[in-house]
Amino acid sequence: MGTTALVCGAGAVGARAARHLIADESFDSILVADANRKRGAAVAAALGPRAVAVDEPVVEDADLVVVATPSGKQVDLVRHAVAAGRHVVSVADSVPTVQRLLDLDAEAHERGVVVAVGAGFSPGLSCLLACHAASEFDSVEEVHVSKHGTGGPACARQHHAALRSTGLDWRDHAWRRRAPGSGRELSFFPDPIGGADCYRASLPDALLLVPNFPGVERVTARLAATRRDRLTASLPMLRRPHTEGRIGGLRVEVRGRQGSNHQTTVLGAVDRPAVAAGTVAGQVARWIATGQVTHRGALGLAGLVEPLPFLRELARSGVRAAVFEGA
Amino acid sequence: MALLRRALAAIGIAGIVAAVLRLRGSGGVPPQAGGWRELSGPDLR
Repeated sequence: MGTTALVCGAGAVGARAARHLIADESFDSILVADANRKRGAAVAAALGPRAVAVDEPVVEDADLVVVATPSGKQVDLVRHAVAAGRHVVSVADSVPTVQRLLDLDAEAHERGVVVAVGAGFSPGLSCLLACHAASEFDSVEEVHVSKHGTGGPACARQHHAALRSTGLDWRDHAWRRRAPGSGRELSFFPDPIGGADCYRASLPDALLLVPNFPGVERVTARLAATRRDRLTASLPMLRRPHTEGRIGGLRVEVRGRQGSNHQTTVLGAVDRPAVAAGTVAGQVARWIATGQVTHRGALGLAGLVEPLPFLRELARSGVRAAVFEGA
Repeated sequence: MALLRRALAAIGIAGIVAAVLRLRGSGGVPPQAGGWRELSGPDLR
């Protein structure tokens, strides 16, 4: 008997994740559910005969659930899927949602299922780049993530909300609450993005990274923002978000020790965030379905997959990482 | 009344100064050397 995946949310990320899954022989059928039924049906029709649009997401009908709905609508669905004993891949990118999904760890363990939390661009690819960079070190002291750009409209709204909500930094082995829009830092992303001012915001990357680096002293996450973004952060969005998002980037700086030397490694990626997030989510789902993920419980990608083979496979799918050299 | 006007003026000026400080400037210096190279082949072995 083959595997069935249920993709909840057929927006910019969910549609890409479904496309990634349908291209793989591991899945016999893909069920596509979206609050906008017309859009769900259109995505399923575009994917071919193995994809079926469903009106409501019934988790019991699938072996694995990919949750690509807006972050605020994910928790109940994921909780229901875990209770039904189904593996889950979530692309959640808000701090409260990620926190609540990580709280499902004990139940997921008990039921022998995986909940991949934050399996998108950032968090997601950011966690994998941090793990890959950290593999060069004997001990990791600091991890700093910067993100540029947004995926679909839900991601853009989350970006806007993050700039007005308190950020979380890990510093000196404790969580510190940080004012949004503070801590300006000029970060250099891979071309064609280049330099952009990045600020503290309510980002979940540190929450997902800290458990994977015992003894780490500092973990921070920042968001690239324009002056207009910061000035209008406390207002409703003034313009309708772009339906597909534009080009985005990631920069992950890891500092640590190699023997007695302090070293710094900077990795990055540039892609359309929705495309990269959908590819990462789809690949995580495929790894779970094919038994390449052995952990059980709710955790981020840093603790879930081997970064090197995962990045290699991502590169074959067109999502490529880069290293900053020669500084 | 004069006191209220002065207080409002002080709050207004403080707000303008805060907005200018928040929006102006840049967060660092661009790297003077180095560049990005795509990870491929041996990097991913």
